[in-house]
Amino acid sequence: MDFLIVLLLLPLGGALFILLWPNASPRLIRLLALSTASLALLLSVVLSSAIDFNNPAVQLFSKYTWNPRLGTYFVFGVDGISYPLIVLTQLLILIALSVSGSIKERIKSYYVLVLLLEFATTGVFISQGWALFYVFWELVLIPLFFLIDRWGESQRQTAALNFVLYTMGGSVFMLLSLLLLFDANPAHSFLFDSIKTAAQALPASEQTLIFLGLLIGFGVKMPIFPLHGWLPLADVEAPTPVAMLLSGILVKMGAYGLIRSVDMLPQAALQLQGLLVALGLIGIIYGGLLAWRQQNLKRMVAYASVSHMGAVLVGIATLNHYGLTGALTQMLGHGLVSALLFMLVGLLYERTQTYNIDDYGSMLATTPLLAGLMVFALLGNVGMPGTIGFVAELHTLVGGFQRWTWLIAILSLGVLISATYSVRTAKRLYTGPMRGDWSTMKDLNLSECMAGMALMAATLWLGFYPTLLISRLQVSVSQWASAFVQGGL
Amino acid sequence: MSKLAFMIALVPLLPLLAAAWIALGYMLGWNRGEAGERETHWVALSAATVAPILLTATGLYTWLSGGSTSYWLGAWLDLTHFTAAISFRLDALSLTVGVLFSVILLLVTRFSVNYLHREAGFQRYFMILSLFHSGVLLVVLAGEALLAFIGWELAGISSYLLIAYAWQRDIATYNATRAFVTNRIGDAAFILALFTALSFLGTTDWQGLFAAAQPESDLMMSLIGFGITLAAVIKSAQFPFSAWITRALEGPTPSSAVFYGSVLSHAGIYLLLRISPLLEQATLLSYLLFTMGLATVVYGWLTAQAQTDIKTSLIHATLVQTGLMLIEIALGLYTLATIHLVLHTLWRTYQFLHAPSFMQQTTKAVEPPPLWLRNKTWLNAAALQRFWLDPIADSLLVRPTRKLAQEAQLFDERIIEPLTGQPGSSNLLAILSRRPTIAGSMPSLESQVGTGVGVLGVLMQWAAEALEWFENRLVLQGSGNGLSRLTRFLGAQAELLDNYLRQPRYLLVLIAATLVVIL
Repeated sequence: MDFLIVLLLLPLGGALFILLWPNASPRLIRLLALSTASLALLLSVVLSSAIDFNNPAVQLFSKYTWNPRLGTYFVFGVDGISYPLIVLTQLLILIALSVSGSIKERIKSYYVLVLLLEFATTGVFISQGWALFYVFWELVLIPLFFLIDRWGESQRQTAALNFVLYTMGGSVFMLLSLLLLFDANPAHSFLFDSIKTAAQALPASEQTLIFLGLLIGFGVKMPIFPLHGWLPLADVEAPTPVAMLLSGILVKMGAYGLIRSVDMLPQAALQLQGLLVALGLIGIIYGGLLAWRQQNLKRMVAYASVSHMGAVLVGIATLNHYGLTGALTQMLGHGLVSALLFMLVGLLYERTQTYNIDDYGSMLATTPLLAGLMVFALLGNVGMPGTIGFVAELHTLVGGFQRWTWLIAILSLGVLISATYSVRTAKRLYTGPMRGDWSTMKDLNLSECMAGMALMAATLWLGFYPTLLISRLQVSVSQWASAFVQGGL
Repeated sequence: MSKLAFMIALVPLLPLLAAAWIALGYMLGWNRGEAGERETHWVALSAATVAPILLTATGLYTWLSGGSTSYWLGAWLDLTHFTAAISFRLDALSLTVGVLFSVILLLVTRFSVNYLHREAGFQRYFMILSLFHSGVLLVVLAGEALLAFIGWELAGISSYLLIAYAWQRDIATYNATRAFVTNRIGDAAFILALFTALSFLGTTDWQGLFAAAQPESDLMMSLIGFGITLAAVIKSAQFPFSAWITRALEGPTPSSAVFYGSVLSHAGIYLLLRISPLLEQATLLSYLLFTMGLATVVYGWLTAQAQTDIKTSLIHATLVQTGLMLIEIALGLYTLATIHLVLHTLWRTYQFLHAPSFMQQTTKAVEPPPLWLRNKTWLNAAALQRFWLDPIADSLLVRPTRKLAQEAQLFDERIIEPLTGQPGSSNLLAILSRRPTIAGSMPSLESQVGTGVGVLGVLMQWAAEALEWFENRLVLQGSGNGLSRLTRFLGAQAELLDNYLRQPRYLLVLIAATLVVIL
């Protein structure tokens, strides 16, 4: 019995179950979906005991032939880099489902699609072959397209189409690169290991070209600075739970793919290190300044995501142990915090029907719980000590300083900008003059409060006890970074 | 071994937990008012009772079993260059003083239950008292200067809070601040000592400090010794730092008894006894201590003759005794100083607790100052005015500092604030003039989102505006819509082509063309 495959198929089974249940009431559908997601989360956490995090090899490895002539396999496995992301996926899906109470129409298809999304995303993180990876990568688009297109806000059609076009456009480059790699592989296989060995034999210029293709493909998803055009639109137009998933997990897929590509083509990554860090630093400042300019709260959070993913890119670009630890921690931290922010902004919208910062004011007295969580989320966004974001920033700074010394001050500037807009927002929302009458506004209900508290607890827990995460990352990260230590860095 | 260390750790921890519990209860509102008094004092009293019992028991156990005197609970900070551990020291000195302080605090806690009955700040008082209890026990039992400093600060802050117990009165808060700030001078010296010890020795463990002191006394060791000594003498209010202690009597009487009459002012003496191996190496410090002690004895004795209220004269009598202890320490009579400390603490607590009922107990009028003092007018005036220590400190330290602060503020208002764009106090009128629109809860027409003030703010705004233009024009419009426009265009072209191809004649042409190419 292979538990990884059980974890993968669990949401798919749940989705089928809901689909085939005759005349299910909305309550029942919700219950089924929630229990599926809870089971998946539980399983993913329990899985930790079966994994040896001190072993650099891929864990829980299983391989079934798919198409021997094409060299494709159903091949699964986890390591320290992918495991935290798998748990994050299950956690955020559960939380997104639990705050989906506001979805009132076409309930059945909504929950089925979210579970399908869980299935596809988990698949991306546990695939150990590029062919399978690509299949799951594209599969993610289908539920996401419908989720935005059908349950989104006024401009949802444009946003959904835009999102899919962007991602598909990137995927074309990614696919080309993968095919080139496959072509160069004498073993005729798409397995990670096999392709990695084959890629070393390629001429350096070709490696760089292939890496650029992958960079475009993953960079769109991540998103990297000039390719981020879809994110503000998609995040704003998507329904709240989907926006949580978009910036909570989906963008992490891009960063994860990039980490795997760097592992596969270390020479090319070294060649393009300057480009990577430049894009990352630009992204940090660019996203931060634009977040500061937004009046629309949801857009602000979306641009904050661009800024934070820039920091992830800087962490990856350091090509050393600290930097990647920082990048992975940042991915996790941003997943938790941005999901919390999107959730709270969405809940605020449900109550006030406005996203405009200028419409709010003095709401501390009416909704203390919502206000407290929101202030916490904004502080977590800055990376206050005690939240996981701080651990991430510290590692990235240390890693970046080892590589570039003073240049990394720009990263600190990004932190400063994020503090500017976060504190500004907290101030506008909860203090100052009353704008509009929010005195009858309801505070969080139990399930919303629990979802928020769960995210907050995870942020604080990992912030105060980062060893929990870092001890699991360490060996895989060291192995990843070892290529560059030998490379004469 | 570690179990025992844990038991010792519980001794200062229990009052701390009691303080936390009372504070939590007050915040959540379950022990407020007169109804909550019973639970409050019960919690404080139990912690204060268990602490000395536990301390005595562990002390007896170690004494009987002949175990070591230092107990290591765990590392707190373990860096390569220095370590800070949570460790305790249970030798004859700390055990004696610990049990003594702890029992006195228990008695005073019990005394306060009746004394503060139906006071508005009942819960607050017991919370602070427990906090103080914890801090003092930490000072006494700590095996490390760093840990002792934590207790030292806890005691300092709780002393501040209790002096300001009646915070509604201006004079109380002023006195509290004054006393606290004076003590901060000592704290700074303590930190200097800690810093020196950590950076040169890599440890603040008492044992490690004394071991390092053995070979020769160099500058570093004197610096450590000087820092701790300065902290100790300020806490014990030795001359010329005596002025704060009369101000500190502002708090409720039982707290004055426990803080200044006995425990806190003797904590300084305890600290000196603790670092006695260091003092032996630094002869200069001994001279200093001797001089200060002598000056304090004279100062305390003279002023005690002339003071007119009971608490002040008692505190000056305390100063005489602590001054004597200082002299004893300077002469190396540590056992004598310890016994002196114990006896004097017990006696002075008793006297202070009696102070409120002094009027009832005395039958005849209080004697005036002795004749020889009254004859020397200038000396009498000096004694009555406590040698003008406060005004001197005012003119030497407070007034120049205040002047400097005023000038700094002026600089800040005129130059820094306009540059950084802060709404400083100079712009107060401008803010007030906008007040009506705020009060009328009219949403301001122009949004302030994304607008910066000050030099940096304006720069940031320009950068953000430029980027926003770029984003809207190129990224969102250009590529986003452009992408779909391109798709639509290509789709239309393909449709056109398809239309043509569906017509048979073009299909034939296509087939023919294909054939031509193949052939």
